[in-house]
Amino acid sequence: MTAASPRKSRWTNGLFVGPYLLVYLALLLYPLLAGVWLSLHKADLFGGEAFVGIENFSRLLRDTVFLQAVRNTFLFVLLTVPPLAVIALGLAIALNRPTRAAAVFRGVFFSSSVLSVTIVTLIWRLVLIPDGGLIANLLHAVGQPPLPLLSHPNLVLPAIALTTVWWCLGLPMMLYLAALQQVPAELYEAAALDRAGPWKTLTRITLPSIRRTIVLVVIIQCVLQFQLFGQAQLLTQGGPNGASRPIVLFIYEVGFRRWDIGYAAAASEILFGLILVATILQYVTTRDKAASR
Amino acid sequence: MRRLRAVALAAVALVLASCAKRDDVTQITVQRIFGECRSAGTGARNPDGECEIITGLLDQFQRENPDIRLKVNIAAWPGYDQLSAQFAAGDPPDLVTMHMSAISDYQSRGLIEPMGPGLESVGVDPAAFTRAAREGVTKNGQVWGLPFDNWAPLWHINLNQFRQAGLVKNGQPILPTSADDLLAQARQFRAATGKPYLVQAMANETASYTRNLYTWLMTQDAAFFPDPKHIKLTTPEAHRIVALFKQMYDENLTTKDQDYPAATSGFMNGDGGVYLVGTWMIGTFEAEAHTPGRPLSGGYAVVPYPRLFGTRDAAFVDGHAWVVPSRERTPAQRAAVYRLVKFLADHDYDWSRTGHLPAMQAVIDSPRFKALPHRQAIAPLATIGQTLPPQVQRQFAIQDIIGDEMASAITGRKPIDTALADAERRVNDLLFHLL
Repeated sequence: MTAASPRKSRWTNGLFVGPYLLVYLALLLYPLLAGVWLSLHKADLFGGEAFVGIENFSRLLRDTVFLQAVRNTFLFVLLTVPPLAVIALGLAIALNRPTRAAAVFRGVFFSSSVLSVTIVTLIWRLVLIPDGGLIANLLHAVGQPPLPLLSHPNLVLPAIALTTVWWCLGLPMMLYLAALQQVPAELYEAAALDRAGPWKTLTRITLPSIRRTIVLVVIIQCVLQFQLFGQAQLLTQGGPNGASRPIVLFIYEVGFRRWDIGYAAAASEILFGLILVATILQYVTTRDKAASR
Repeated sequence: MRRLRAVALAAVALVLASCAKRDDVTQITVQRIFGECRSAGTGARNPDGECEIITGLLDQFQRENPDIRLKVNIAAWPGYDQLSAQFAAGDPPDLVTMHMSAISDYQSRGLIEPMGPGLESVGVDPAAFTRAAREGVTKNGQVWGLPFDNWAPLWHINLNQFRQAGLVKNGQPILPTSADDLLAQARQFRAATGKPYLVQAMANETASYTRNLYTWLMTQDAAFFPDPKHIKLTTPEAHRIVALFKQMYDENLTTKDQDYPAATSGFMNGDGGVYLVGTWMIGTFEAEAHTPGRPLSGGYAVVPYPRLFGTRDAAFVDGHAWVVPSRERTPAQRAAVYRLVKFLADHDYDWSRTGHLPAMQAVIDSPRFKALPHRQAIAPLATIGQTLPPQVQRQFAIQDIIGDEMASAITGRKPIDTALADAERRVNDLLFHLL
């Protein structure tokens, strides 16, 4: 009697992943495919459906409101992801020390992340409104007129980006902190013996050591910020004249206010494709760089 | 052993108790807008506010009907995103507030029940509704809701500032009779008070722009919905309305960049002379007028929009109704729903204290309603009020599009004709793609 080889594969081993696979198929794959199918139909939220092929997609490409939403979304990602990646990194480096003050500040900077979007927008409305808001009062104190941060097309997206950066800073900071604490202390000791300055230590030891985490943070934030919704919905309703309408708000308006659910599904598929492409591009780019080292 | 027996007996008693017949309380879910607050009891900040009155009414019904348990959902205005999601999930409430302008959307999809037989069963006769209210809830010859009120946008006036600007005669505000007259008065007002004539919610807002446009298109007799599937906005009638508001904006004769809460509190704090907002604020502003030391103290008036364009008096009106979503119900639940409907119909006067026009003709004709402040001034709404054609669907989505484009034109980000053409194109595209 011989013992079975541990390397021998049996189909019954697959049963271990069965439960997960079932949930994955039911909650992710099926809705995804159903969404694709729905996007090929002219459909009402409450009944009525007709197959229209790619008509919804071609209609979207002619829809100036949708194209504006796509532009806004990309601009918003550009306005939020770099600050989130850089500021959170700076905070993490500053707070990566075993002192009580650092622990308190870690908690303080993370605390905004636990708030719901409703609370965040309520707080920031009081900061941003030109009629007695915090920023307006500060400007008034230095003799400047208030800025229409929530009603000027050039200011409204930066204002929402500012709100978002404040809200979302906690998670990347924590990811960076976790990564920083994995960097061997000997490397810093060796650098100190070699009289490396802070900049050289940062660029030659810290950043290369946490490169994977930086990539992870950028990818996660891209995926999250492409899905901007609550802040724009609650602070500006996408206005003025669509200047702050992101793709998800467009989908929401078309699906729930106009009940044009097939058209909304088509817009959702385009958003899905955009996020997928952006994520793959980042992944491939950073992987190639790593491989060439 | 004795202790063990006692524990066993207690366990059996608990099981039997849980199997006992439930009490005879019938639960129904009521969903409403109008905000969240305490009821209009002693110490209420604004006893004539929408929220306080409806909260008080539902509390009263609950007290008087202990065999019914009301589960009250409070939805954010206008409440349709939440309601649509509930319908899509197959879990709508039993009774829900709905604007008359939204009824056709839900009725055309079979999402709400005709209420005629139910109203008849509790003795509510649609013939008792006002004409505007009855027309608002009647589609294809059937009644689809209990009308609760009619409302319209109004000119809420700070008479103290009007007096300062020399715009009061015999205790009454002097109102403009044309667009040029409005500009002249607004300039006079600004020169005298240093404040803008108009207070408007212009940021994060679309509804008020659209209501202004509708009202003055109606006074010009413009057929802007030639049929329920098309809108016509590239017209001289629409252009001159938008041009007037743009001029007011350019000359700083209106507040700017305020959202709805900021504009409302701004008017109460004396930011300007005329606030363009609906009937629902009468109770709130009247309370301010009776509070000593406030900018509105002893100096508040309210009137329908003056006729600045055209030759006939008209006002865009809408209204709130209670509708019964289609879903399975026990006979007890159905009876409970209609008992509440009857209660709400009987308390239409209480609701009208908000400032809304009552839906019951008998209430409008009653001395106690006429004795409420400012009701004589807004009484013409009952005859000049006009809705959009009832077959026009997605009126809220249309309102958002028009308001969006009007804001662009008024603030100078788009030429007026471009904005009106864009609004027309977007609305017609929406209507064209309705199934």
